[in-house]
Amino acid sequence: MPKLDADKLALIRKNIKKQGLDAFILSDYHDVKYLMGSIFNPGEVIMLIHSKGVYLTGRSLYEAPLTADFPEIKVEGCDVDRELRVVQTVRKMKLKKVGFDGLKETYHAGKIYEEAGFLNREKFLTPVRAGKTAAELKIMKDSAKILYKAYRHMLAWLEPGVTEKQAAEELESFMRKNGASGTSFKTIVAFGPNAANPHYITGRTKLKKNMPVLMDYGCVYKDYCSDITRTFWFGDTPSEEFIKIFSIVKAAHDEVVKKARCGQSGAEIDSIARNYIQAAGYGKYFTHRTGHGIGMQIHEDACLSQDNTSMPIKENYCFSVEPGIYIPGRIGVRYEDCFYMTKNGIKQIK
Amino acid sequence: MKCSGEKIKNLQSYMKRKGLDACAVTDLDGVNFFSDFTFSGQGDAYLLITRKKAYCFTKQMYAADLKKKTPYLSLVGSLACEDIVKKARSLKAANCVFDAAATGYLAGKLFYKNGFKEAPGLIAEVKEVKTPLEIKRIRKACSISAKAYDIFREKLKAGISEIEAASLLEGIMTDLGGQGLAFTTIMAFGENSANPHHINSSRKLKEGEIVLMDYGCKYGGYCSDITRTFWFGKKPSAEFVKIFDIVKAAHDEALKNVKSGSAAGAAHKRVCEFFDKNGKLAKYFIHGLGHSLGTAIHEEPYLNARSAKTLGTGNIVTVEPGLYFEGKFGVRYENTVLITDKSVKILTKQ
Repeated sequence: MPKLDADKLALIRKNIKKQGLDAFILSDYHDVKYLMGSIFNPGEVIMLIHSKGVYLTGRSLYEAPLTADFPEIKVEGCDVDRELRVVQTVRKMKLKKVGFDGLKETYHAGKIYEEAGFLNREKFLTPVRAGKTAAELKIMKDSAKILYKAYRHMLAWLEPGVTEKQAAEELESFMRKNGASGTSFKTIVAFGPNAANPHYITGRTKLKKNMPVLMDYGCVYKDYCSDITRTFWFGDTPSEEFIKIFSIVKAAHDEVVKKARCGQSGAEIDSIARNYIQAAGYGKYFTHRTGHGIGMQIHEDACLSQDNTSMPIKENYCFSVEPGIYIPGRIGVRYEDCFYMTKNGIKQIK
Repeated sequence: MKCSGEKIKNLQSYMKRKGLDACAVTDLDGVNFFSDFTFSGQGDAYLLITRKKAYCFTKQMYAADLKKKTPYLSLVGSLACEDIVKKARSLKAANCVFDAAATGYLAGKLFYKNGFKEAPGLIAEVKEVKTPLEIKRIRKACSISAKAYDIFREKLKAGISEIEAASLLEGIMTDLGGQGLAFTTIMAFGENSANPHHINSSRKLKEGEIVLMDYGCKYGGYCSDITRTFWFGKKPSAEFVKIFDIVKAAHDEALKNVKSGSAAGAAHKRVCEFFDKNGKLAKYFIHGLGHSLGTAIHEEPYLNARSAKTLGTGNIVTVEPGLYFEGKFGVRYENTVLITDKSVKILTKQ
C-alpha cells in the first residue's frame, strides 16, 4: 500500500530547517512519488511540506481516496490554478519563508510563487534524495540481485546465431520473471565492434563465436532502479586486445572501489578512474563520466563527473561506477556496478 | 523506431497562422516530442524552431545518432538557453515565444528578459491533432492493452490482492510488447470500485464481486487508456447488470457525439442528460467524459463541462462514462477512440 514515508518526510523537514525555511513546495512527479509512492500522474498534485504537517492540493477526484488513505495529509481538491490555491493556503497558515525549486517548476508556476514572495531554492531535494534510507537501500539491493542472477542466466543462454535484440528480450523477460516490474532504461546488448559506441542501440547483429559481448541493463523493483554493465568474450580464447583493454577498465573500476572516500566530490572520484585510464594510455577513449546517481530514477544528481565539483558524495549516496574504453569501429569495454558510500569508503549494492 | 519531423511541421504551420517567427522548446517532454527522439534527461537538448528550420542544441554524445535519425534537425553544438537567444537574434527572428506552461522557471525568466513572449498552452494546442505516425503508435499501445484484458481474465483468481492483480496485468502488457505504463494502474475490487481514483490496496478478490480496472501501456512513447468493469464469479448481481448496461449504453450514445465538428463540452453534457433520462443518475457521474492522450496520458482537448473546444479530425480521445455509488460500487466503461473525417474508431477494441 502506498504510504507517506515517515523517514523521508523527516529528512525533508530537516532540510527545510537547515535552509531557514518554514515550508517547501513539492510538485515534481518524481519528488511526489519519492514521498508517497506510485499514485499520481505528472502534474496532478502540489504538496506543501511544513513543520506541523503536510498539505496537498490535487485533482478533486483524488480527494476522497487520499483523505481515507492518508489521514496525516490535509487534502484539498482543486482542478484549476492549483498554484494560486497553494499561495492562499500559505497565507492562511501564516507561513513566512516558503521555498520552491526553480529548476523543477514551470515558468508559469514559478512566476506565481515569486510574486507571492516565495524563495527559489534550486536542488533543494537533491541531498535528501541522494542519501538513501535503510529501507531504500534494502530494496535497491534486492533490485540489484535480480541483475546478477540475470547475468548468470545469460552466460548459459547465449549461443551463436542469436541477435542482440533476442538477447535483450531474454534478459528483460528473465528479470520480470524474477520480480522486476520493468527495465530501468533501454537494455543495451552490443556484439563485437558495436560495443565501441557507448550509447549503442540494440540491433539485429548476430552473435558469432569469438567476439566480445557488452550488456548494459537494469530493472525496476518496487519502484527502485538498478544498473549493471558486463563485457565478456564469447568463445574460447579472448583476443590480446580484449584482454588488455578489459584489464585496464576493470582495474580502473577497482581503483575507484578502493580509493573513493566519503565527502569527496563527484569530480574527485571521477578523476580516480580517469587518471588510471589516462596513465594506461587510453585517456581519450574514455568518453563519458565515471558514474551517475541512482535511486527511484535511473539518473540522479550524485554524478561522478568532472563538472560535479559542488556536491560531495556523502554517507548512503548511491551511484554507479562504470568506466569504459571505446575505440571507434573496433572495440568497446565497460564495467559497471552500483555502490553506496559509507564512512569507510564505498560498498557494492548487492 | 523510425523518427519523423511531422510534428515540427505541425508546429511550423501553427506558427505561420499565428504570425510567430521562432519558438523555444526547453522542457525534456517538449524536446522529445518535437524531435521525435529520446533524449534521456532534462537539459540534454533544447530546440529553437523557426518557420523554416528546427535547431537542436545538444551534447556531442548525441550527434552521431541524430545525424542518422533526425535529418530534419539542424544541430548546434552548444547547450545553454543563452545560445538559443543568440541564435534567434542572429536569425533576426522578431516574434519569438516560449510556452510558459511547458518551460522551466529559470529558462522562462531568461527568455522573457530577452524579449521572448509567453505563449501558455501553445505546445498543448499543437499536440491536439495527431500525425499518422502518432496514430500508428497509439493504435499499437491500444491494441496491446485490449489484448491484455482477455489474458488477464483467464489468469485472474480469487485471493489475489489489488496490488498483485495490477502487477499481473502490467506484466501481461509488457509480454505483449508494451513499453512501460501510460499511468498508474487502477485496480479496484468490490466496494473500492465506487472510487474513480481508487488507490490500489492489499484487499483480496473474492468470488462474486466487481472488478474495475483502468489501465494503459506505452508504445513508442505513446499512451493507451482503457477501463473495464466486470463481475468476477458466476452470477452478477441484478444491480450490477442494470448499472453496467446503462453505462455501456451511455458510452455507445456518447460515440454519436464524439465526432469531427462537435463541441467537446456538449458531448459531456449529452451523457449527463442520458444518465438523467435513465433514472436520474447524472449526479453519480462525477468526472469528465474523457480526455485526449498522446505522449502524456492527459492532453487537450478534454471532454468535460468546462471545455470550450471543438473536436476535429486527428483527435484521439477517451470516452469513459461511469457511475459511482459511495460505499457500494462503481462502473466505468472506457475506450480510446480516433476521430476521423467521417467516423469515430475505437482503438481499444478487443
